[in-house]
Amino acid sequence: MIKVHDIHLSFKKPVLRGVSLEVPHECIYAVIGPGAAGKSVLLKTIAGLLTPDTGQVWIDGEEVTFHDELKLAELRKKIGYLFQNYALFDKSVGDNIAFPLRRLFGNIGEDEIKERVAERLMRMSLPGFEDRNPNSLSGGQKKRIGVARATIMRAPYILYDEPTAGLDPVTSQRICNLIRDEAREQRSTVIVVSSDIQRLLSIADRVGMMLHGQLIFDGTVDEAFASANPYVHQFIRGETEGPL
Amino acid sequence: MTTATAESQASEPDDLDDVEESQLEFYAREIKDLVGVFSRTLYYCVRGKREKGDIAAQMYAIGNGSMFFMCVTMAFIGAIVAYQMGLQTKKIIPDMSLLGATFLKLQVRDLIASVGAMPLATRVGAGIAAEIGSMVVTEQTDALRMSAADPVDFLVVPRFIASVIMGTVVLCVGGGVGIFSGMLVAMVSFDVNPNTFLNFSMLTSGDVILGLLKMVTYGGTIAIVSSQRGLRTFGGSEGVGIATTEAVVGSLFGIIVWQFILSAIGYVLLPA
Repeated sequence: MIKVHDIHLSFKKPVLRGVSLEVPHECIYAVIGPGAAGKSVLLKTIAGLLTPDTGQVWIDGEEVTFHDELKLAELRKKIGYLFQNYALFDKSVGDNIAFPLRRLFGNIGEDEIKERVAERLMRMSLPGFEDRNPNSLSGGQKKRIGVARATIMRAPYILYDEPTAGLDPVTSQRICNLIRDEAREQRSTVIVVSSDIQRLLSIADRVGMMLHGQLIFDGTVDEAFASANPYVHQFIRGETEGPL
Repeated sequence: MTTATAESQASEPDDLDDVEESQLEFYAREIKDLVGVFSRTLYYCVRGKREKGDIAAQMYAIGNGSMFFMCVTMAFIGAIVAYQMGLQTKKIIPDMSLLGATFLKLQVRDLIASVGAMPLATRVGAGIAAEIGSMVVTEQTDALRMSAADPVDFLVVPRFIASVIMGTVVLCVGGGVGIFSGMLVAMVSFDVNPNTFLNFSMLTSGDVILGLLKMVTYGGTIAIVSSQRGLRTFGGSEGVGIATTEAVVGSLFGIIVWQFILSAIGYVLLPA
């Protein structure tokens, strides 16, 4: 389980203002909200990439808020992360996907790494892409390579930051289905940050809405649709009239 | 008074002490950050686990990319310095026999390293800051950290080692070209025979050691300052542009400060 309690974080201006949430085991949790609401910052804080000013983050019952990089390395064996901008290195697709395995798990042999990379690429419908350069791929293919890298460790927690941003509707739906299927098969706990609400809510178990650095709603998808909160109501329906 | 004006005035500091304090804090933070990157770089030089070929790739990028530029620049600088020295010598004592000896001493002890490091800083420093800055804004450094790869180990150390080694090599080669061009200018403009010009009698081992020490220091300074600026990149392409500019300015400033410190040390320990 991922638990966040009263997180505050500022970069000159406050970005997170007292965010608290709990993501149950094997749950797909969708974090929605308008731009600059603090969604990606929340995700990076959970992963230990940003240190909050105050507040706590627990993963598997262990507080990880102020861990040093050495302890965080252990934590990161449990977390797969898909970055908004793909964050693929200037290496071959195979080396990109294998990177977390090689760095975090020194005891895995090269034969097994190659096997697992091939299996991931097959799962992403990109078989034989090992030697390709990421610069030669489309946006959708890069996202799928990112998903492959995030899931190759078979980590119990996967964090996806805007997995469908900039993709066409068909590719977006495929990515969302992939996230859902991967989560079910690997029995992982997933947090997805996205502005692509309709697609995201079609795969999510729970949903939280962020606004101005605060979590203003936390509940099931049905509760979100039934919410009387005018911000949630307007945002989920994509209406132009309202407080947003 | 409008509300906006009132708010902006309200947010201004009460006196100049506040401004000076915040400036001091800014520079203190910058220096602390630089020292932090440098100490981590030294640590990972010994204990890091980089990928094979990273240092060689950076050495190729820095050496191959800078060699021609450096040779052309140093050729012009050597020619200008030799010509100016010849002109001044001609005015005072029209004896050119020691022109080469003094030229060589000046070049080896000081100018090859300190003047050559400036174009090197613009070429190499800007490249390092832009490359690392782009990786920061595209979250690649975060992806490295998620895989327990410290960006200092993975990105800074190969550039630091490559810049120290290839910076020295490029400056030595460029310095040789500068001496050659100075010799040509002395021959054409002042009728100084090349054998007379290449007079190493005034050159001491201390001059060579000091020159090499400066080259190594400047190579390292360029890499550390530029990497630190790159790692602190914030925002998008505009942030990368700012980081690149700051890297060049910071590297040049660092070179000048080191020039002063090393020259002072050199005059005490390795007197001319």
